[in-house]
Amino acid sequence: MPEKPPKSIKILSSLPLNLLLNGILIIPFIIMIYLAFVKWSPLMGVEWWNAPFNGLVNFQRALSDTRFIEALGRTALFVAIAVPLEFFIGLALAYLLQKPFKGKKYLVSLLIYPLMLPPVVVATVFYLFFQPYGPVNNIFLQYIIGPSALNIYWFLDKTLAFVTIIVADVWQWTPFMFLILYSGLSAVPKRLVEAAEVLGANEWTVFWRIRLPLIKPLILIAVILRSLEAFKIFDYVYVMTGGGPGTTTESISLYIYRLAILYSDISYAAAVSLIVLVLIFIISRLATKYLLEKR
Amino acid sequence: MSSQVVVKLENVTKRFENLVAVNNVSFEVYKGELFTLLGPSGCGKTTTLRIIAGLEYPDEGKVYIDGVDVTEKPARERGVCLVFQEYAVFPHMSVFENIAFGLRVKKLSKTEVERKVKEIAEILDLSNYLNFKGGKLGLSEQQRVAIARCLAVEPKLLLLDEPLTLADAKIKEKMRRELRKLQKDLGVTMIFVTHDQLEALMLSDRIAIMRSGRLIQLGTPEEVYDNPGDLFVATFVGSPTINLLEGVLEIDGNRLLLKTDSHKYAVASDINVKTLQGLVGSEVVIGFRPEDVEVMPEGVLEGVVKLAEIAEDKRILYVKLNDHEVKVFVDLFTSFNEGQKVILKINPLKLHIFDKKTGKKLLKGVIPG
Amino acid sequence: MVVKNILTRVLAWLILLIIVTWTLIPVIWIISLSFKPYAEWRTPSLFPKNPTLDNYIILFSPQSVSIFIAYTAIIEPITGPLIRSIAVSILATVIAVIIGFFTAYGASRYNTPGPFTLFFTLLTRMLPPATFVTPIMIYFTTLRLLDNVLGLILLYSATTLTYAVWILKGFIDAIPVEWEEAALMEGATPFQVLLKVVIPIARPGFVVSGLFIFLMSWTELLFALVLTSVNVTLPVQISKYVTAVGALWGVQAAIALLGSLIPLVIGYLIQKHLITGFTFGLVRG
Repeated sequence: MPEKPPKSIKILSSLPLNLLLNGILIIPFIIMIYLAFVKWSPLMGVEWWNAPFNGLVNFQRALSDTRFIEALGRTALFVAIAVPLEFFIGLALAYLLQKPFKGKKYLVSLLIYPLMLPPVVVATVFYLFFQPYGPVNNIFLQYIIGPSALNIYWFLDKTLAFVTIIVADVWQWTPFMFLILYSGLSAVPKRLVEAAEVLGANEWTVFWRIRLPLIKPLILIAVILRSLEAFKIFDYVYVMTGGGPGTTTESISLYIYRLAILYSDISYAAAVSLIVLVLIFIISRLATKYLLEKR
Repeated sequence: MSSQVVVKLENVTKRFENLVAVNNVSFEVYKGELFTLLGPSGCGKTTTLRIIAGLEYPDEGKVYIDGVDVTEKPARERGVCLVFQEYAVFPHMSVFENIAFGLRVKKLSKTEVERKVKEIAEILDLSNYLNFKGGKLGLSEQQRVAIARCLAVEPKLLLLDEPLTLADAKIKEKMRRELRKLQKDLGVTMIFVTHDQLEALMLSDRIAIMRSGRLIQLGTPEEVYDNPGDLFVATFVGSPTINLLEGVLEIDGNRLLLKTDSHKYAVASDINVKTLQGLVGSEVVIGFRPEDVEVMPEGVLEGVVKLAEIAEDKRILYVKLNDHEVKVFVDLFTSFNEGQKVILKINPLKLHIFDKKTGKKLLKGVIPG
Repeated sequence: MVVKNILTRVLAWLILLIIVTWTLIPVIWIISLSFKPYAEWRTPSLFPKNPTLDNYIILFSPQSVSIFIAYTAIIEPITGPLIRSIAVSILATVIAVIIGFFTAYGASRYNTPGPFTLFFTLLTRMLPPATFVTPIMIYFTTLRLLDNVLGLILLYSATTLTYAVWILKGFIDAIPVEWEEAALMEGATPFQVLLKVVIPIARPGFVVSGLFIFLMSWTELLFALVLTSVNVTLPVQISKYVTAVGALWGVQAAIALLGSLIPLVIGYLIQKHLITGFTFGLVRG
């Protein structure tokens, strides 16, 4: 192709992109920075562009805001529990489905449907599931601990509520891990597997010493991407627990949402958003740099 | 070479959908020999090899290794190792770890593993490569690593699937000799698969020629070359290809004649025609190799020189005999011109007569006198 | 040795069975619940004894149910949010795919826009959307794009653009440059090359990225919550049925099911490419 792009292509490939991104995302970003340094809320009666300057007050407030710090920590904890769970279950599933068998394609098709559902639907489903008279209590636990199971209020206990969120996320996103690992494992050249077999290796050895090491970059991509997504968790918390009981399951996304919508604490919300943005940006930059290099 | 049987195939048949890849094949391989499966692409030789290795299972028949029926056993239980055509060196492991792989599977101690790996690496001249990553090796090194990997586990049998096909023409010669030397030095029983008949003739103790899934002929290189049991074998083995004359066999006095639509050739004279009596009138193909025919001052077979080619230590004459063209080896000292008339004499002992329809050998050699 | 073999196989199948059951139970339960009459909502039975369509009817005409009059949040029949979701998703997809295609083509063949801009597009997906809620709400209020299908369309196109760019770039990269160069040498204008050579061959890329973006737009909750109050999309409506009203189980199940139908159909259409979508084309499904 010619070194320099023809003018029409040059314009077409950058202008619409820039218009859209700048118009819809960059300008708000600038507004956010502005808002973070002023003091403003719609209840103040002035237009937001006339808001009084506030310096670093919002940021200082954030640093001593326990609810904010806890939300951050809680979200990180959630990621640290859910993602490894999804990884190991996905891996086990990919391992079990290595050998061909009749109807395997249909089984795989079946196993991945949770990925396609709207998270809000999954949230609704598990909300119903964990009701006192819902199937988890009613059917499941009755067999294990009898009728007292009906008195378990999942959403009223901070640990149990946290568990429900993890269950919802793991249920929906394990197939993601499974699919990536499964297609990666299937793509390992057959010759290498056969070479290991004629050297005496059994299925287990082949899995751990040949297949798995060869898909390491894939695993990394899967884990990093999933972790970034899991950190954003909102739908399940909003619908199932509402952040409760109290604020004990409030994710960072939910907290910011509430600051902006519920408390109308706009400038503080902007400051908090900015802090989280910077944090994630640093982590993302490191992650994508690594991923793009590998590619 | 001993007569102890290491591998025995009994009526092995393997089908893939509509295709019969291996059709009722039986043979034995002896300890310490280099046994070759030779044939054109698609003849079933690789499938047969894989069945011996345990990577495929036959639909019918049995496989015995060291007297034990291993037909149902998976590859890892057979004590057999296969070197793949593409070598399949593990790219994510170092050469050391590649060679050590089979040993680690056997759960040998760390010191044992190290000792054995170094020993094998020494034999295959890989000692300087031990730290190289598998994915970064050249073809020649890859081949040696693949072989070293197998030798390390001391298999009863070493199988090689066209190991030299990927190699450069220049290096092939060298690799072939090294491979044979290695095999003889270590006394490893080897089954070799190739489509290169020259290679097979050079390296093997015995050759099994396969075609369309069937075993056509089994014998030493000499047997296969001098006494092809079949038209296919006669044409496949030997370079340049054997000369063939097609026609109806006739006898006239003490002459063997071949009648075609346009001509009657006197193929040989002064021979004992008793053995030919039963073949008179049949459609045959007579074959003779370029080195078994000479240019003579007098004789019964006449032809015209079309081309004279120089090849290493001899000349190849392309001689036109009416409706056939044959190749004749002559020495470098005599020169021939295009269009020159020559008289050929075929060594009657080296005349192979095949049935035209079935391709089967009818007679080998005709007695002079 | 043989016993160990059988035991491991049984264990493997058992684990598989557990995972399959655990995957299927929720959907089976929800389908069944959506057909259960009010009296059976709390029963442990897997299938309704007296199946009914009541729950679905309520979704389409909630005004007819007396208890609902008090719940102004969900007084609207489901057809409204449904249509709005469809409109928003389709239009956002069209915009994102078109802009994404041109960007991807420039990036693939000419390196315009540069790698920094490309990285930036990835960023739009990696940063938590919640962090943008505050300024976008203010911004859209000022632009009068609140409670407005147009606002959502613009927002979704901007946020899903990156999927279109990366997925399409992957498909375009796979087309040999020589084909375009040949066309150029035969006198075609660059635009004609796009039209006649690139677009037809990259068609699967359009299908995959288009359907995937549709899926993402359809399922989005957070911004829809923030930017709409009356003219809501389906995910918002679903969430309202749960958060505004506590205990309408059967109805909640019904709306959950309805909201899943289109995503499931799309999901199965592109199931081979789901992973390509989710990983921005880094992993080829």
